[in-house]
Amino acid sequence: SSTNKPGVPAPLPSALATARIIDDLSRVPYPENIQSPKVELNINAKDGKFRYDRDFLLQFMSICKEKPDMLPPLDAIGIGPVDQSSMTRTT
Amino acid sequence: QEVDMQAQADGIRTVFSDPTNFNVKHPLYSPWTLWFDSPQTKGRNMPQTPISAFPQTPGAMPPTPGVAAAQGWMEDIKRVISFDSVEEFWGLYNNIVPPSQLPQKANYYLFKEGIIPAWEDEANKNGGKWSIQLPKDKNRAHVDKMWLYTMLAAIGETFDPSLTMADPSGSPPNSLITGVIVSTRPQFYRLSIWTRLAPSSNEEDKLRERIEGVGKHFKMSVLGFSEGQKLAGPLATEVEFLSHKDSEKKGGKARKIIV
Repeated sequence: SSTNKPGVPAPLPSALATARIIDDLSRVPYPENIQSPKVELNINAKDGKFRYDRDFLLQFMSICKEKPDMLPPLDAIGIGPVDQSSMTRTT
Repeated sequence: QEVDMQAQADGIRTVFSDPTNFNVKHPLYSPWTLWFDSPQTKGRNMPQTPISAFPQTPGAMPPTPGVAAAQGWMEDIKRVISFDSVEEFWGLYNNIVPPSQLPQKANYYLFKEGIIPAWEDEANKNGGKWSIQLPKDKNRAHVDKMWLYTMLAAIGETFDPSLTMADPSGSPPNSLITGVIVSTRPQFYRLSIWTRLAPSSNEEDKLRERIEGVGKHFKMSVLGFSEGQKLAGPLATEVEFLSHKDSEKKGGKARKIIV
C-alpha cells in the first residue's frame, strides 16, 4: 500500500504476503515440539478448507505478533483501552 | 513423482521453523471479518461500515426492506479487518484491545466474510444464536480467554461437529456458524454464537440435535463449564438458544433451548 515507508524492513508482513496457502496438511513438517493439527478434524478436507483444534491454534500466539498492514488506527474507530481509573470503584 | 513431492515437502517452512521467512500459511475454512462498535464510534466516517460493504452495483436489486431498516445502527458499526489464515488471525489478536479493556456498550463482531453482523443478512435471517450473559465483576478476569476460545472455535470451525461426518465425495459442507459476538455492558458481558439455521418446529429433530451440539461445545469445551452446571443467577443466564424470529417476539412467547 502507499503507506509503506521505503527502507523500513517489514519481514513478517512480506512473508505473510508471499507465503503460499497450504493445500495438503499431511505434508507439512512441524518441529518436534509442535503439535500437528488433529487429523480427525480433516478426514474429508479438501480445497484448503481445514479445521483446526484449539491446542494447535494456540501454538501460534507467541510467534505471530506482527501488526497487520491493513489494521486501521484503533483510536480512529473508537477501540481505545478504557480509562483504568474509571474501572476502579471508590466505595 | 514420489521424489518430487518429497522435495516439495522439504521446502516447506512454517512460521514455527522460520518466523520471519516462512513460505506457507495455514488457510482458514472461511475468510473472516472483524467489526466493532461502541458509543464512541457513532458518527465516525472511517473506515468501512456494513452499509458501504453491501454490494450496490447500479441496476442491482435494492437492499431488502429488512436491511434498509437496519441501516440506522449498521452505519455505526465499523469494519476493522479481514483475514483468511491462522497466521493473520494472531497478528490481529496480538495488536487489538481485549474485551476486558473495551469501553462500556462496545461489541466485537467476528463474522464470515460477506455476512453482515445483522439478522437481516440472508445468511442470518433463518438462523438464531446461542448466548450467555456473565456478570462483569466476577468475570472480568475470564472474559478475554472466553472470547479468545470462542474465536478459535469459530475460525478453527470446531463448533459444528457434523462437519466431520460429511460425505467425502461431495463439496465441503456448509457450516452452521455465521459469526460470534462479544458485548460489554455496564453490568455484564455477553458472548453469542450465530447460526445459519434454527429449528422452527419440533419435527426438525436432526437440525435441533445439530444446533444443540453447537451449544454443548460452546458451554463445555469453549467456556469450560460442566454439562449439567447451572449458570443462571443475578445478571447471569444459562447458555441458551433463541431463533432471530423468536427474538423479535415480545412477551415471553420465545422458545428457548438450554444446554
